[in-house]
Amino acid sequence: MRSSRGLALRGVRNLRRLPSAFFPSMAMPVFTMIAFAGTFSAITQLPGFPTDRSVNWFMPLGICFGAAFSGIGLGFSTIRDIETKFYDRLLMSPVPRRALIIGPLLTAWVRIAILCAFVIPMGMLLGVRFTSGLLGLFTLVIAAVGVSTISLGWGLGLAFRFRDMRGAAVMQLTMFVVLYLSTAQMPLPLMHGWLHNVARINPATNILRLARQGLVLPTSADYMSWHNTFGGLIAIAGMATLTLVFARRGLDKLNK
Amino acid sequence: MTAETTVRSRQLSVRQTVAMAKRSTLEIARQPALIAPSMFFPIFFAVLSASSFSKTTSIPGFPKVESFMQFTLASTVVQGVLFGSVTGAAALATDIENGFFDRLLLSPTTRTGILLGRLAGGALFGLFQSAFFLAVLVPFDAPISAGIPGALVMILSGGIVSLAISAIMSSVAIRTGSAEAVQGTFPLLFVLLFFSSAFFPRETMSGAYKRVADLNPISYLVEGLRALVLEGISFSAVARSLLVPTAICIAAILFALTELRRKLAAR
Repeated sequence: MRSSRGLALRGVRNLRRLPSAFFPSMAMPVFTMIAFAGTFSAITQLPGFPTDRSVNWFMPLGICFGAAFSGIGLGFSTIRDIETKFYDRLLMSPVPRRALIIGPLLTAWVRIAILCAFVIPMGMLLGVRFTSGLLGLFTLVIAAVGVSTISLGWGLGLAFRFRDMRGAAVMQLTMFVVLYLSTAQMPLPLMHGWLHNVARINPATNILRLARQGLVLPTSADYMSWHNTFGGLIAIAGMATLTLVFARRGLDKLNK
Repeated sequence: MTAETTVRSRQLSVRQTVAMAKRSTLEIARQPALIAPSMFFPIFFAVLSASSFSKTTSIPGFPKVESFMQFTLASTVVQGVLFGSVTGAAALATDIENGFFDRLLLSPTTRTGILLGRLAGGALFGLFQSAFFLAVLVPFDAPISAGIPGALVMILSGGIVSLAISAIMSSVAIRTGSAEAVQGTFPLLFVLLFFSSAFFPRETMSGAYKRVADLNPISYLVEGLRALVLEGISFSAVARSLLVPTAICIAAILFALTELRRKLAAR
């Protein structure tokens, strides 16, 4: 645990030393929230739309995007460490292998805390209202932590396999596509055609439902309930396990 | 200088510019990995939006369309061309970084030709992109009301937009000499595009956001192209599709040439 803490602290210090690497994951949620809520503000007029405030709908999306990019940002850092040979020194040191994953994971969670502390108040200034109080805030943060854990596992797994910046493009592209092929922009009942079928089976849809349930109208079917919570929790647990195992296997391959 | 010498000098200058244009076009064509995102992502977003927002066409204020894909056709062209035009400017910055630009300056090549040749490659790529997007998307319930003349205007407009944005980005490349700085300006294009009526009609927007979209020239460009798609050919639509990017283009090229002169004067 001490090694994990040490590595996590190194990651947190890098936020201060290399702010340009962290900036996109802070700017992206704010931009997504403002741009999407402004551009698509009229979609709340559609019958059956779960909220009357577009910013309520798009803030969780922005936070999930930021969380995803926070996680894969640590994948970028790992690639940099591999390229500069710093990772070789870590591998040669008597650090337990799991600390090389738990350390960045703790850093990702610190990043999420900073991200939420910045984006949620900004969203509230722009008109976001939690319709189910603190519980809604809590489920949103849980969803963000979940997305960052999944993206970290994915980012590390790809970093260990590619070992150079080619992996960065794959990390970004895949997270981007997975999030967009869900209810990122529209609720499931208002979708049409192939995207409806894809979004229905995409686990990211459940995570976004978990994130948004405290921000939709109490009359909506997506409002805070156990039914709308457990799907998201299962999706997070399942995907996080898969991606962290993917990362661990990649690390083992890196050792050989 | 005799008239004959002047003519010969101009012919040589044109030949040099054409050679530079050929080089920059081949450079783009030879790097499919660099141009693939600007070809793939606009199509991906168009298909995604068509499925996501298909029901929004019934919202009050939304123009009469056959499908959301038809509505989004114009913005797909502009989006793809904006993103694609960064590639050429980044290549110019790379030339500066690796010293090739200095070698060009040492050769007896016209200064304007170096820049215009580079921009011509971007413009040709913009024409190709526009034609590609129309060819791929029109069959998917996105007919162009203005027919083939409208499609040709859209393709031409795409080429001019690409020239304009390439010129703006080239100014950044000349000033900074850094491909990273050129790539770094990419989010600004994204912001410019999002804070316009590219993705949703201005009639459905409200408040500060609508005011920003009203002031954004991209709104007028996209709406001109959209009018060709939705309403058919008209003087107003053609003028907006061609004059807005041409005005931006002239200003941007003059600015890029000024930047180039400033860089040369500083040596």
